[in-house]
Amino acid sequence: MLNYFSSYLVIGCIYGVMALGLNLQWGFTGLMNFGIGAFYMLGAYTSAILTCSPSPDHLGGFGLPVILGMLGAAIIPGLVAWLLSYPALRLRGGPFAIALLAIMETLHLVMRNESWLTNGVWGIRGIPRPFFELVNPRAYSFYFLIIAASALILTWLAMQRAVKSPWGRVLRGIREDEYLTSMSGKNIFRYRQQSFVLSSMIMGIAGSLYVHYTGFVSPQVFSPLMSTFIVWLMVMVGGTGSNSGVVLGAFLVWAVWVGSDFLTDLVPASIATQIGFIRMLAVGAILMVTILTRPQGLLARRLFTAEIHGKGEG
Amino acid sequence: MADLLVSGIIYGSIITLAAIGLTLMSDILKFFNFAYGDFFSLGAYGTLLMLGLLPKWAPFPGLSFGWGLILGLLAAVVLTVAVMLLFEWMFFRRLRQLGVSPLFVSIASLGVAFVIRALINIAWGPKVRYYSNVIQISRELPLGIRITSDEIVILISALILVALVYLFLKRTRMGKAMRAASDNPVLAEASGVSTRGVILWTWGISGILVAVAGTFYGIEVQLSPGMGWSFLIAMFVAVIMGGIGSFWGALLGGMTIGISEELITGLVQNLVNSMKIQADISVYKPAVAFVFVVLILLLKPYGIFGKRER
Repeated sequence: MLNYFSSYLVIGCIYGVMALGLNLQWGFTGLMNFGIGAFYMLGAYTSAILTCSPSPDHLGGFGLPVILGMLGAAIIPGLVAWLLSYPALRLRGGPFAIALLAIMETLHLVMRNESWLTNGVWGIRGIPRPFFELVNPRAYSFYFLIIAASALILTWLAMQRAVKSPWGRVLRGIREDEYLTSMSGKNIFRYRQQSFVLSSMIMGIAGSLYVHYTGFVSPQVFSPLMSTFIVWLMVMVGGTGSNSGVVLGAFLVWAVWVGSDFLTDLVPASIATQIGFIRMLAVGAILMVTILTRPQGLLARRLFTAEIHGKGEG
Repeated sequence: MADLLVSGIIYGSIITLAAIGLTLMSDILKFFNFAYGDFFSLGAYGTLLMLGLLPKWAPFPGLSFGWGLILGLLAAVVLTVAVMLLFEWMFFRRLRQLGVSPLFVSIASLGVAFVIRALINIAWGPKVRYYSNVIQISRELPLGIRITSDEIVILISALILVALVYLFLKRTRMGKAMRAASDNPVLAEASGVSTRGVILWTWGISGILVAVAGTFYGIEVQLSPGMGWSFLIAMFVAVIMGGIGSFWGALLGGMTIGISEELITGLVQNLVNSMKIQADISVYKPAVAFVFVVLILLLKPYGIFGKRER
């Protein structure tokens, strides 16, 4: 039971890191990125390939230490985001979301079909788990929780500092009124690019944490729902633009998700097989109700009302 | 080559049908409806539902379907439009009244998408379905073109439907009101155009188009609960490429994506085969739409017939 709970907390922490990353893009800069899963997946695979022992099934296995894998998991998604930012950031709003969605789907195709690189649908096994030999394997999730929680706290502190800095003020300025901010002599593109790249690096680190926790990665893990849209729900529920809010949202949404596991034991088997779809239904319904009743989320910043009830583009 | 072109035109005509509805909706309702792909699936599954309820009529000679599918399609159109109007009445209307910004409405439409997809999954299961298990024998035409009778019917019906929508927008009073509302909503309303009516008609027209497109896709390929979601990017790329709100843009965008997805993957496959490399290029067919996004973004961020916003 304790194991179950600490396992819930570990994944909650990883989703918390992702929600903070998304909040930087959407909450503070107004970038509607529907492709965050692409960078999460990229980070996961980078870390897996860098740290695994050599294997004929996929690229590498370079056997590097986990910490270098995490570094790589930040650098590669950052580089990819930097390259993609040139075409993608020419778009705003809905078209930007579509472009990122297309990027995510394409990357998913690559990861599924290029076996030489990723071992395709069979995935990569035996990814090293840090300090696994030193601790009791049955309580591993408890030890990993220390790593995941420190990552979450560090990201939260970094984000708090970033958004309170002059840099964060410019980002909020872009979100509220791009033209006014550019008239204040700020290079809008550079700031949007920095936010996009930094956030993608955070997604990559989250992906790295995930693979070093589970020790396994395959394309099925990164369905759009589990890698992207559940994070969107967490941010919307928690409060767009509030770092504490989105972390709360992450733990809340994940608690509902995990909690529905217990329901499967209570209901008849015919319904239990449908649980995945009932969860999908719940995700959709919660998202609809949240935006209808409390578009600013549970813990919202006052500043944000101008964006919710104001102009904007679809 | 000619064969790839023909299958591209057929695929493109299905994208075009859906994209015309989507471009109207994005333009007049002023948000990106991410549930549109799942209405596409709903249309297809609606036809499947009716097909099961109706008596089993014999298929038309040479075709894989009979009266059952045609009546089923009509019923599915009604069902899709009804579900759309239900969501409009229960949900999107309230969001508009609350003054929620278009970006938030787009995210909310994602919620609608998940609800519909989950319901389709619960009702029909995740397995792939077909309307009919009749195997169509394709006709051999000159230039190595292979086409089934079903495909000819799909192509002609799509053409007729597109023409009807065009006449509706050009000739009827409501069509003109819709174009006026897209051009300048404030001026249109001041001139006595009913915004409410325009919005309802927009849902209606796109509902008809998307349900027909979904069913055609079901006839041509197969049905699966994720069909609309995977089709969504192609539809949106057609809309963005042509310019949001442009009828001709959606037509051009839809056909271009359909043809190039078939043609590019086919030609690259031939190239790879001739170089004696073992590789399956067709799995990357959806990625062609992505390459188009990048190209269009670099060349024309507002689309070919698009109007620059603000």
